[in-house]
Amino acid sequence: MVKSLYGIDEEINAIWVFLEQDGSALAGVSLELLARGGELAAQLGWRLVGFLPCRRAAGWVEEAFAHGADEVLLAEDPLLEHFTVEAYTQVAYEALWEHKPSIFLLGATPNGRDLAGRLAVRLRTGLNADCTALRVNPAGVLVSEVSGFGGGVLALIEMAHHRPQMATVRPGVFPPGEPDFNRQGTVVRLPVNLTVESVHTRIVERVVGQGVDLTQSPVLVVGGRGVGDNFKMLYELAELLGGEVGATRPPVDEGYIERARQIGQTGVICRPDLAIVCGVSGAFHFTVGIQEAGTVIAINTDPEAPIFAAADYGIVGDVHEVVPALIRELQVTD
Amino acid sequence: MKPNDEPILLDDALWDELITLTGGEAAACYQCGVCTAICPWGLVKEETFSVRTLIRRAQLGLPGGADVLWLCTTCGECEAYCPRGVDIPNVFRALRGVAWQRREAPEGLPSLLWSNYWNDNPWGQPPSQRMQWAQDLELPLFDPAEHEILYYVGSTAAYDKRAQQIARALVKVFRAAGIAFGVLGVHEPPDGAEILDVGHRRYFAEVAEQSAEVFRTHGVTRLVTTSPHSYDVFKQEYGRFYAALQPLHYTQYLAELLSAGRLHFAKPLARKITFHDPCYLARHNDETVAPRQVLAATLDTELLEMENSGAETLCCGGGGGRMWLETAAGERFSDLRLDEALETGAEVLATACPFCLACLEDSVKARGIEQLQVLDIAEIVALTVAS
Amino acid sequence: MSNLHTVVCVKIVPKPEEVSVAPETLRLDRAGARSEINPPDMNAMELALSLKERHGGRVSIISMGPPFFTPLLRVALAMGADHVYLLSDRAFGGADTLATTYTLAKGIEKLGAVDLIICGEESSDGATGQVPPGLAEWLEWAQLTMVNSLDVDVEQRQARGRREIPGGHEILEVPLPAVVSVQTASNEPRFMDYKIKPWAFAEGRVTVWNQADLAAEAEYIGTPGSPTIVSGLDEAASRERKRIILEGSVSEQVEQLVAVMEQAG
Ligand SMILES: Cc1cc2nc3c(=O)[nH]c(=O)nc-3n(C[C@H](O)[C@H](O)[C@H](O)COP(=O)(O)OP(=O)(O)OC[C@H]3O[C@@H](n4cnc5c(N)ncnc54)[C@H](O)[C@@H]3O)c2cc1C
Ligand SMILES: Cc1cc2nc3c(=O)[nH]c(=O)nc-3n(C[C@H](O)[C@H](O)[C@H](O)COP(=O)(O)OP(=O)(O)OC[C@H]3O[C@@H](n4cnc5c(N)ncnc54)[C@H](O)[C@@H]3O)c2cc1C
Ligand code: SF4
Ligand code: SF4
Repeated sequence: MVKSLYGIDEEINAIWVFLEQDGSALAGVSLELLARGGELAAQLGWRLVGFLPCRRAAGWVEEAFAHGADEVLLAEDPLLEHFTVEAYTQVAYEALWEHKPSIFLLGATPNGRDLAGRLAVRLRTGLNADCTALRVNPAGVLVSEVSGFGGGVLALIEMAHHRPQMATVRPGVFPPGEPDFNRQGTVVRLPVNLTVESVHTRIVERVVGQGVDLTQSPVLVVGGRGVGDNFKMLYELAELLGGEVGATRPPVDEGYIERARQIGQTGVICRPDLAIVCGVSGAFHFTVGIQEAGTVIAINTDPEAPIFAAADYGIVGDVHEVVPALIRELQVTD
Repeated sequence: MKPNDEPILLDDALWDELITLTGGEAAACYQCGVCTAICPWGLVKEETFSVRTLIRRAQLGLPGGADVLWLCTTCGECEAYCPRGVDIPNVFRALRGVAWQRREAPEGLPSLLWSNYWNDNPWGQPPSQRMQWAQDLELPLFDPAEHEILYYVGSTAAYDKRAQQIARALVKVFRAAGIAFGVLGVHEPPDGAEILDVGHRRYFAEVAEQSAEVFRTHGVTRLVTTSPHSYDVFKQEYGRFYAALQPLHYTQYLAELLSAGRLHFAKPLARKITFHDPCYLARHNDETVAPRQVLAATLDTELLEMENSGAETLCCGGGGGRMWLETAAGERFSDLRLDEALETGAEVLATACPFCLACLEDSVKARGIEQLQVLDIAEIVALTVAS
Repeated sequence: MSNLHTVVCVKIVPKPEEVSVAPETLRLDRAGARSEINPPDMNAMELALSLKERHGGRVSIISMGPPFFTPLLRVALAMGADHVYLLSDRAFGGADTLATTYTLAKGIEKLGAVDLIICGEESSDGATGQVPPGLAEWLEWAQLTMVNSLDVDVEQRQARGRREIPGGHEILEVPLPAVVSVQTASNEPRFMDYKIKPWAFAEGRVTVWNQADLAAEAEYIGTPGSPTIVSGLDEAASRERKRIILEGSVSEQVEQLVAVMEQAG
């Protein structure tokens, strides 16, 4: 049987969480993992450790303590400013090999998945991927719930002999918890031995807000004929949710929105995690465009509208009332 | 024949193929231009859509015509008027076939073919859900020993929420008439009509052969379709794979039941109705009588006729693969059709095809016309049968 | 003509909606399910074939799985791939991502001169998305995941890809050889070429390699090579839309909506 670089007899009773940052803030999922990791650590009587590679920590260490970390391992280096898989894998590998934690949790973000996939192979260990629930048994074995077959099947995955027990966790499945800025912890600085040559990935450019790619947007707010020409409110809602705006064919025909945003058989076929569909009747040529969506929410005045049969949640109501109310509610919660 | 000075000529193999595919069809054309004048695209498009030029390209073995090539709805109106009897829709299909080989098919159409390949339907829907529309109806699987007909639902009526109502209405009518019928359920094979329409003849032949085999192994002979497109393709193309197949469009079958005295109506409808002939009944298969007989039997008033009716019908815009391609607002034939329907003073615009239904209903909504309802004949009959 | 050799990793998967969990045994029941090429791998295929059109070279397909994959993999040949390599051995069964990536990497090593590996974003069954980075790690190659377009500079031995990031996009460059994964639905896969289809389904080259051919070590493949174990299986509540109507006043409805949206991500 394949052996991990370190095993149960060498493991340290600690849960590590990868603290992912984009230069301005810690990723939401990192905070969620601190919250859930803290519960599991408490259950086992273990330490919760944040692992933070970055150029220079800007208040993130304190934030990690506030969210439950007992300790933060800080790897600072100019080469860690932006995520590159080579640099991050190397510092993480060295840290794990040095400290040998039992469990290592990462967010299932694009970067988290890149990093975890490489690390698991380097450490010859297992990886519970894209988990939707985590628990531990008294022996300290991490049991993860994952889903497959388009969400139709749930599986529990665990590893008995390999360490660290790695898992990537889908963002949004755990609440982030209330920060307590009076909490204190220890900071441990990690040595970093990176050379420019070891980094292969070059970021040629990064452009924000240019061109839309509806097929890749995680959130989609779709307007139909029932929205009239009031797409402004849909843009506002989409912005709050970090998503894009799409439309059925009639608003495109009317010129309320550009053709590139038409969803459907003869428009774009999308696969967002969340689609909020407003004032849309649910014609077949439209619904094929959102059938791969994770969760579909429909708002329509007509309780008989076929869109409700293609939705997970429906509100029978006027979009001109419901959407502004939703925007206000989201602004408050932010 | 092949002129040598044209830099963009097809290679010999493609050229031969083009000629074979069209059966030398285009050769007869003497470039009179009647087709260009007749084609409904002339009514909706600013720049002329020159059918004649495309036929010329086919004669010369020239590829392309790019976008224009995919506009044709294969409605067959031009063909009916062509003094040389050129099967123009077929020339379009052949040119499209060549475009496939040159990888010039428009976006969306490769996905149509793939969907049929993986899902047995052109709509990207899960094959296992083909019978979901009838979950509560407990339809029996076809058994040649027990059933008079196979009801061939077709992909659109199976998956499109609106078109499902046609299928449900038909089931109600069949039951009211005491017909012993069965379906093939999730094993119902695709008809491949849209594959033929978008010109992929080779893939179509493969699909047709497999589907015909399914009919044969299930012992199907009489088969009644929801869609005129299924009926057409079964009638025109499946014979060489399975000669025993006897396809009927449901309007034909209902007309037959009427004359056999098996279909009875409880209450005639007191509504003003006009009928939009689907191209694939009226023109491609000369069937203009059966739908009218059925409608007449349900009405206590005269059927109203539009300016262009019967073999002269004006295409809804949905044939020739156009249900998978976007048609710009203002260029949809179905918008024009509504004017004709409104002129008759009808309250109901009846049709007998899921594509016509989708296109016409769309135009009614887009134009905000409230006094006109679009219904399929099956739905009208279902309203009036004694249950 | 360049010698760009691109390998596309293709997995054959059951149609997700046709797989269930047998209630008594709690084991996966995929017996009646139709198989297909993992849809994201069709996007990987399209990208590889478009690179071949631009730069020449050849495209190979590699897949780990049972022999019944073969006819489905021939579809890739009919699309324009040159050769299929199927890694097939009973001993490969039960592989998790560690064992899968090891085995695929052994296959790539045996292939020799490979410049670029293109994978789908994730499979529709296991859906871990961990194969591309894991493969890159075994091979010690660069990786570029989730791109929606890519070009290579054969002379400079660079690959340059574009990927979406929240609110925009970035362009990244990596040296060849590299492992790339492609965003699902980022292109429209070409249909099979019916001029080559007869060849593809009759003669088209499919080479099958087993454990011995790959000189794969027993402890790294199949079940022994897989640290993770599946300790439970269940069918998710329902794959169908929930169709729940939220009741109450507008503000009550909106409150429920926010809760629902938080769950959906
Ligand atoms: C060949 C072809 C291709 C097509 N391709 C596409 C395509 O790619 N994409 C596409 O979307 N369509 C397409 N269509 C059109 C499609 O058939 C439908 O007509 C279209 O999707 C309907 O759009 P809708 O739901 O916005 O409008 P409608 O069907 O008119 O529905 C509007 C809905 O809004 C509701 N409503 C009205 N006022 C309010 C209010 N104040 N608050 C809440 N709800 C309200 C109404 O109850 C109604 O249900 C195509 C059609 C054809 C024939
Ligand atoms: C419900 C479920 C959950 C699972 N969870 C886990 C888990 O948490 N951890 C774990 O280690 N394993 C897990 N597995 C097992 C995992 O599916 C297999 O290891 C599989 O061989 C590779 O992973 P993947 O399907 O997730 O591929 P992904 O990484 O999602 O696939 C990405 C790409 O890699 C390529 N690829 C993947 N598999 C092959 C192949 N066999 N041949 C050629 N190319 C391929 C394709 O290009 C594919 O698009 C799970 C399986 C199931 C059914
Ligand atoms: S109507 Fe017939 S003969 Fe006249 S140009 Fe058209 S195809 Fe040719
Ligand atoms: S078949 Fe119809 S759409 Fe096609 S060219 Fe003839 S008239 Fe025009």
